Amino acid sequence: MSASIPLGQPEAIAEHTGTEPGGRPGGAYLRRLARSPMLRVVGRRLLIAIPVLWGVTLLTFIVENALPGDAAEALLGANATPAEIKVLSIKLHLNEPLLVRYWHWFWAALHGNLGYSLYSGQPVASIVAQRLPVTIDLIIYALVLSLVISVPLGLLCARRPGGVVDRAIMALCMAGLSIAPIVLALLLLQVFSGYLHNLLPALASGTGNNLRDLTMPALSLALPLAAFYIRFLRADLIEQMSEDYAVTALAKGLSRWRVLTRHALRNSFIGLLTVIGYNLATLIGVTVIAESIFGLAGLGNELLQAIQHRDVPLLEGIVLVFAGFVVLVNLVTDLLYGVLDPRIRHGRARS
Amino acid sequence: MAGPVASLVLGLPDAAGGSPQPQPQSRGRGLLRTLEITIPGALLLVLLFFCFIWPLVYPVPSPTYGSVLNANLPIWSPGHIFGTTNVGYDNMARILYGGRTTFEVAAGVQGIGLVVGGLLGVIAGYAGRIVESVLMRVLDILIAFPALVLILVIADSLGQSEMHVIWALCAFSIPATARVARAGTLRLRDQPFVVAARLSGVKAWRIISGHIVPNLMPQLLTFSLLGTGIVIIIESGLDFLGYGIPDPAPSWGGMIAYGQTVMSVSLSPLIVPSLFLFGTVVCLNLLGDGLRGRWGVR
Repeated sequence: MSASIPLGQPEAIAEHTGTEPGGRPGGAYLRRLARSPMLRVVGRRLLIAIPVLWGVTLLTFIVENALPGDAAEALLGANATPAEIKVLSIKLHLNEPLLVRYWHWFWAALHGNLGYSLYSGQPVASIVAQRLPVTIDLIIYALVLSLVISVPLGLLCARRPGGVVDRAIMALCMAGLSIAPIVLALLLLQVFSGYLHNLLPALASGTGNNLRDLTMPALSLALPLAAFYIRFLRADLIEQMSEDYAVTALAKGLSRWRVLTRHALRNSFIGLLTVIGYNLATLIGVTVIAESIFGLAGLGNELLQAIQHRDVPLLEGIVLVFAGFVVLVNLVTDLLYGVLDPRIRHGRARS
Repeated sequence: MAGPVASLVLGLPDAAGGSPQPQPQSRGRGLLRTLEITIPGALLLVLLFFCFIWPLVYPVPSPTYGSVLNANLPIWSPGHIFGTTNVGYDNMARILYGGRTTFEVAAGVQGIGLVVGGLLGVIAGYAGRIVESVLMRVLDILIAFPALVLILVIADSLGQSEMHVIWALCAFSIPATARVARAGTLRLRDQPFVVAARLSGVKAWRIISGHIVPNLMPQLLTFSLLGTGIVIIIESGLDFLGYGIPDPAPSWGGMIAYGQTVMSVSLSPLIVPSLFLFGTVVCLNLLGDGLRGRWGVR
């Protein structure tokens, strides 16, 4: 990012406060807006998103069609005659060359038509729209839980690095990072539904519109995440505490805890935000496992079924939504980054 | 799995707490440092010994053959210390042979990732310009995408076998390693000793093989070690979902899936493979962290 608006000029101030120097609406304001670093970030992100989304769909398409055995066989089952398979595959356009099929799909998708599921015949868009909220709820809930756990614990660690509390939390983090999601999910099941007599239900009621139903799947996602965030926060907070502003605050007589919570934590949030944004792709991957174990009717479960049925249009639709979601969140991360970090907001960041 | 993957994939700077702190080392501290590396290392060696060599010297029962008369034996039964499955397979043999598969897959995936990904990353970092942008855009696509989803799709379309699981998991390890290797190469490229070599006319491949690769090795090796734990976790997830090692063959993830089905009756078929999985990954992570501190790698 180059410095487009030097700080201190009236323009920069005007942009910051959202007013025009002369109060004129129209062209000048738009021109200034177009030069703002924030918009540039958005524009660049969106431009990068195009090849990413396209590449992801092409990759999925090629991989899913690479081997013999297609949706026609999967749909008709083992007892189908070759003639039946032939008829169905012509009906589903499976006999056309790979790239022609991809082109058909791509062209329709560009027009907003994601096609129909080969298995159920329903429009892909409506299946996705029906399942997406569950997955998004789950992800948001898991993120909130992980932050609620990790911020206080990270602060506790950084309060006295190397102390007993720090060591205990770090050991727990190591365990949290090393546990497989399947094991953690089953452990939670055993504890909450077994030993604690159905404090939380073992199987969600399907739609997962109940916060109580979502708690256990969200916990199974949140705990490893929290372990990771605690380690990040601890390292970053310790680094912040040796910065000039923290040393000054300490020298002025503020307690270490107060400097940590009032000053260092704010700056660490910026780093944490990027980590969260970039973690998201992985988190989506793990929701597939969590949804399958806890029987949530989200996109992850739908994805497993699409893979099983070789339901390429549905698979492509889900993959597109996942990739789009990741791109979108990264965009929001970049924007928030700008809001939180004044150096970037004023276009003076050097990297 | 959620956490370290991202930091490893992206090579985020020192996301872990185990950064090397320049502090004077007392004797006790040094001993602790050594134990940090030797204890998990020794445990892993013991496990490797039991998985690979023990079945050769001791008559371990077959993991995929058993009598129904011996079915559903509880844990600590004589002759079957971890009990048997519902068709009479010996659980201890399944743990050992499953561990064998786990380690083979992990080694294969990380080996391929290290060689292919490392090479791609070094070439991208050293060549710069078009080569770099093309390679990095392709890797960006792979990274912007939930790795597990891609791995599931690949594993399903290739069909079930150990080799195919390895290929599928390479979709995770190659871009991750390439990214780290590229970042390291970029850092090394402008170091005085590399510049000096370049100015005195040393050929590019000699600079890469003689200067850059040896200096990258500690970083790449610790990274691989930490990544191995993630590979093992993902592999167990694949087995659990039924896209990994095909059914009668033993795998830890598959054993956990079986354990889940009998969870309400007895917990040991679930707990035993879970403990092995957890212990292995903990040891790998501790070893990686310890070596990172020892070699001063960020």
